[in-house]
Amino acid sequence: MTALDPAIAEVVLAFADDEHLMGQNHTEWIGVAPFLEEDLAYASIGQDELGHAAMLYATVLDSDEDAEIDRLAFFRQPDAYRSCSFVEWELRNWSDALVRHFMYDTAEELRWKLFVDSSNPRLQAAAERALSEERFHRRHAEALIDNLMRDQEAASRLHSSATKLSALAETMFSSVPGETQAVAVGICAAPFASQLEQWRDATSLRFGDLVWQPDTSRASRNQRHEDFAALHQRINTVFDLDRAAVW
Amino acid sequence: MARAWESIQDFESFLDNGGIVERTDAMPDEFRNAVFRFIELHANSEQMGGLTERDWIPRTPGLRHKMAVLAKTQDEFGHAHLLYMIAADMGIKTRRQMLEDLFAGRSRFHNVFHYRVETWTDQVAVAFLVDSAALASQQAVFKNCSYGPYRRILKRIIAEEGFHMRLGEDRMMKLAAGTETQRAMFQASIDRWWWPSLQLFGPDSKPNDLLLRWHIKSERNEVLRARWVQKFVPLLHSYGFTIPDDGLHQDDDGRWHAGPIDWEPLKKTFANVGPDSERRISDAAAHWHETTWVRTALESRADTQPAAGSTKSNVSV
Repeated sequence: MTALDPAIAEVVLAFADDEHLMGQNHTEWIGVAPFLEEDLAYASIGQDELGHAAMLYATVLDSDEDAEIDRLAFFRQPDAYRSCSFVEWELRNWSDALVRHFMYDTAEELRWKLFVDSSNPRLQAAAERALSEERFHRRHAEALIDNLMRDQEAASRLHSSATKLSALAETMFSSVPGETQAVAVGICAAPFASQLEQWRDATSLRFGDLVWQPDTSRASRNQRHEDFAALHQRINTVFDLDRAAVW
Repeated sequence: MARAWESIQDFESFLDNGGIVERTDAMPDEFRNAVFRFIELHANSEQMGGLTERDWIPRTPGLRHKMAVLAKTQDEFGHAHLLYMIAADMGIKTRRQMLEDLFAGRSRFHNVFHYRVETWTDQVAVAFLVDSAALASQQAVFKNCSYGPYRRILKRIIAEEGFHMRLGEDRMMKLAAGTETQRAMFQASIDRWWWPSLQLFGPDSKPNDLLLRWHIKSERNEVLRARWVQKFVPLLHSYGFTIPDDGLHQDDDGRWHAGPIDWEPLKKTFANVGPDSERRISDAAAHWHETTWVRTALESRADTQPAAGSTKSNVSV
């Protein structure tokens, strides 16, 4: 039984699913980064994002039981997830992965700030911890991108990635039913979409003017990206051997 | 201040008296080369071991479980990072040269990472059996290691590997107490990984093993291997698992002895023609080549930075 109103719980669940799948995506790039320091960075950031997801799922459940958290995180049917298309998308080259890391973490920091003064103590504590980590994630991405953007070939690759990713990046800001209610009772300070312009400015600062043409057909958090099925299957590979077993 | 020795006999006498060699010392070339090759092998093995882990991280069941496995993998790459650094400091190859040799199949890494982790329980078997075997070897090196930088790095590596082994043991116990499916899967993994784990210790040490003589290794391979068998046979038996060794037996004192070991699989891994060597090396090489543009860009940036008082990138590629 959740302590949150079901409509408000959807707001937290959407954030949790984004964190979970972004953390999952980071794990796919460990060991295949351009140099060892990046392998280490992705491993560290991935752990943090999964930890954030666990805190948010715990808030939805009002429980810290790992088994319950895992059931919520892994065992839902695809249509019950509330993640955005941007984090469900399978990216196949490191330039795309780095740009998504920047875009996501820039947005994530803005998103957590909305929960700093949350009326829900779990969310308030989670935001404090997450923000202490997020500034390092963002700075990591910024420092690497800034260095790479000074090289012509690297800049061209990163700019192409930014252009490609910008269409789906704004799905991060897609609204969730219950957001207005969440703001009204002080769960969060404002709808996440209120941060969109600030995020666009931060992104343009790194990549120059991008043409913002969001793919509105993918805006709903109730529909899954075509890459989600494979991702969902992958994260459940071991669980599906025997869902009753403790692994 | 750099130290030098008049002769190899003087140098060996220094080592026999517990002397520790530092990077800046004028060590004999034979010692430098032997220690470098040993550390490079260790670094390569941490790197390839990390790659073994990463294949299963996305499929790790559970959020906190995945975070623990991520932390372990981060440690393994961290060990590689430290080891490549002290190996590079020896002035024989740069880190980049070592990695390029590794990905071109020109250098070696431990036998166990030439095998494919087929199942989740294989992953657990690697953490439980392989990590413990590797830890036993590392502890024996740390005990009396005469090369200072390696000894200091090993202190940290061993502390972290101890946590990895306990994580492996914890996961093994879950499988042992689990369903029939879990137990059967783990037994199959023991059957696959038992022999490679034993072979990890290497054949019996030769009488003139230079690494023993120069106090890099402190114990003979066969001693370490026998001690490991002594620990893990009863442990696995106590959880109801069997050992895939028809020659395994106990002597009158109750000590366990492995049957004859086939060293051919180990020799194949030395030549990088183990069961999964080709895929593992070529996959790692492909990823390395795909990201050349990043390293090139950062190197060119470092080259164009002003030297004094600058904010020169310290990224080492």
